[in-house]
Amino acid sequence: MPDTKKRRQLLEGLKSLLDAQYILSTQEQLKPFECDGLSVYRELPLVAVLPGSTAEVQAIIMLCHDLAVPLVTRGAGTGLSAGARPHPEGLLLVLTRLSKILDINPKTMTARLEPGVRNLAISEAAAEHCLFYAPDPSSQIACSIGGNIAENAGGVHCLKYGLTVHNILRLKGFSMTGEEVVIGAEGLDSAGFNLQSLIIGSEGMLMVITEITVNLLPKPQHTEVLLAAFDDIATAGQAVSNIIAAGLIPAGLEMMDNNAICAAEDYAHAGYPRDAAAILLIEIDGSTTNVEEQLKIMREVLNNSGLTALKIARDDNERALFWKGRKSAFPAVGRISPDYYCMDGTIPRKALPEVLGFITALSDEYGFLVANVFHAGDGNLHPLILFDANVPGQLESVEEMGGRILEKCIEVGGTITGEHGVGLEKIRQMPLQFTDLEISQFHAVKMAFDPDDLLNPGKNIPMLKHCQEYRALSRNLEPNRLLTQHKTVE
Amino acid sequence: MQDSVHILQQQVTQAFNDQKPLSIVGGNSKNFYGNPLDAQTIQTTCHTGIIEHEPTELVITARAGTPLSEIEQALAAHHQTLAFEPPYFSSEATVGGMISAGLSGPARPYRASVQDAVLGCTILNGKGEVLRFGGKVMKNVAGYDVSRLMVGSLGCLGIILDVTLKVIPETTAEATFIFKMKPNQCPAFMNELRHQGYPVSASCHFEGELLVRFSGGNNEIESLNKSLGTNYAYIDTRQLHDSGFWLDLKEHSLPFFSLDKEDADLSLWRLSVAADTDVSSLIDAQTNFISEWGNCVYWFKSNSQSELIFNTAKNIGGSASVFKTNNDAVTNRFQPLSAVVSNWHKELKNAFDPVDILNRGKMYVEF
Repeated sequence: MPDTKKRRQLLEGLKSLLDAQYILSTQEQLKPFECDGLSVYRELPLVAVLPGSTAEVQAIIMLCHDLAVPLVTRGAGTGLSAGARPHPEGLLLVLTRLSKILDINPKTMTARLEPGVRNLAISEAAAEHCLFYAPDPSSQIACSIGGNIAENAGGVHCLKYGLTVHNILRLKGFSMTGEEVVIGAEGLDSAGFNLQSLIIGSEGMLMVITEITVNLLPKPQHTEVLLAAFDDIATAGQAVSNIIAAGLIPAGLEMMDNNAICAAEDYAHAGYPRDAAAILLIEIDGSTTNVEEQLKIMREVLNNSGLTALKIARDDNERALFWKGRKSAFPAVGRISPDYYCMDGTIPRKALPEVLGFITALSDEYGFLVANVFHAGDGNLHPLILFDANVPGQLESVEEMGGRILEKCIEVGGTITGEHGVGLEKIRQMPLQFTDLEISQFHAVKMAFDPDDLLNPGKNIPMLKHCQEYRALSRNLEPNRLLTQHKTVE
Repeated sequence: MQDSVHILQQQVTQAFNDQKPLSIVGGNSKNFYGNPLDAQTIQTTCHTGIIEHEPTELVITARAGTPLSEIEQALAAHHQTLAFEPPYFSSEATVGGMISAGLSGPARPYRASVQDAVLGCTILNGKGEVLRFGGKVMKNVAGYDVSRLMVGSLGCLGIILDVTLKVIPETTAEATFIFKMKPNQCPAFMNELRHQGYPVSASCHFEGELLVRFSGGNNEIESLNKSLGTNYAYIDTRQLHDSGFWLDLKEHSLPFFSLDKEDADLSLWRLSVAADTDVSSLIDAQTNFISEWGNCVYWFKSNSQSELIFNTAKNIGGSASVFKTNNDAVTNRFQPLSAVVSNWHKELKNAFDPVDILNRGKMYVEF
């Protein structure tokens, strides 16, 4: 590690703030923290710290502020966009030790949590009150609520229950100057601008969060999970539109293509049909009477949508198994390829056949196999591009191919990231989605909260000087403006 | 149907150059909300029309000046609706005003708030720049979520040009049941109903009665008479055709909401708290009030000094606001902010509107 004056000052200052065992500064100690879940982006920080109290967090922030040291906050490190990759001249603030469930209040159906609480642990703890926390990213067994806030994490139940931003009541934490801040309230409204929505999903660039109050929901009385198979992916896509057109909002509505089906089946033995071109996994929940009504309509819609087979999970075990296949799709694909690159574009559902056709063509052009898992209900695509990072040039090719998929998502009226965040990974595509004026406005927002640009600098929003360069590298010179070109309806 | 971006942009650019404040006006349906402004008006009603409605995408995009009624009619034609039941307060209400005011109706705790439904928007900032944030898809985390920041910002950060909203299917049946109950018994009772899987879509406590609306499928709603009757003693039901109460509640057309003009200092207050909060320090047994949203919102009238009410609200962990008042001189209508948060507000205002021309002082007099 470079023995710079700033590093020495930082280490000296930290010694008086927390126990030496929670200050990591050697290369060996720092190595495990060099990346998040997107391991192609690696960097060692000057120092990593694991505070055990909010008071320690506050003191660390103040020290960084005084020394003008960049600060990157990290939770469980499961992020997929390198949003928590350390800064080479900065401090990595690891919040995993702040993992207490402070309170579960069944009267208000809320939970107060420290940021290091694992997503799944919230629902597990709330279960004794027959409550659950709705957003459930596939990494929920490991990812922490603090990271969920930073990325505005989604999951497989977003269509009905919303994203993280829809399920948070209050945030407590610190500004980069170390001042205590409360955003939101325990009621449903709070005074002033809607800062909470701005902070959720801001990738740790506006403040550091040390306490979160989440909304809990009563566990649905009844749940059914259906598995519908199709011999054509476009037919499956149309079935999704038919479901929505019938006025149904399933709790989960997921699609997988054949490559993903086979990988997941080998891994989880979920009972998926290997010969299907696509499957839809559909969850309906609610009161018993309501689920019966929905199920009747759903069967009709699916039968009229050209499915080849329909299975309805018999019991809780089979329901869990159907979901296990889907939720383990990423590790399942990881088993059949040395590496995979996970994309996260979101598109209007109607563009699904066009975009999947485009991805298939790219797969042929670049020679990389692609497995598609898709939050079909809300249009969030996760093409997994299979490659081998040890083969020189493959990573660069995959990144180029991934970039073209994201450009396509923008072209059809979608976005480059639905739930994984921009981080470092998608920063080159930001100038395709946003104009220079919009990017300048983002910078102005950042400066309003963190004028010295110390919180997670260099992520999420590209520097203006790089935008034209990024645009020139792609075929589009300016952000797509499809929305204004749409025909107006009478 | 008219695209008037350039006209609006010209007006803002001129005001920016002249540093002359503007007062943003849509249908003028909520001009009572927030501080009165003395500034040249900029009318968004010239910028109208539904740009796109894709029923199978559950998404609608409309220009700011589009009447709210036009949106709801277009959605109803496809058996869809806005989840948050926005209040109109006048038939002239527009989509832009709905976003700026950020007010949600009775269904808010059980379905969604205005900001929950916002997917994207285009704005004119205080420099006259046309900027688009968010998009028209359900999930979108590229950049900061500026679209949702606009909700409830009372036009202080930008002029909404168009907005994209997530919509939901209409439920097919609805019924309201009335229970005799004390206010403090309501939260536990509402929780129980929800735990039992009853499809609650609104609740309101008024004059010793708790009214609960249920929305769902035909069979589900039909079966309520039997199941609620077995489990709870309700005193009355009102079916779908008699759902006027919820409209009157949403639109403040119940007599309770009118302010007696005799009392020049009288204000209608709105208090937002956690559902289990003891509000007796603010609303005593003698005070006439309405609570809704499962006891998360209370409406009451008072001619007390604002500071007094704000302090008490703060002490019980809530926030209060003057919703409307007889006294135009009242300029502190919203719960004061902490020093850091207030500073962030000023800096944000400066980031979007550096010469401070857009609805200056509408929310807080300082910015």
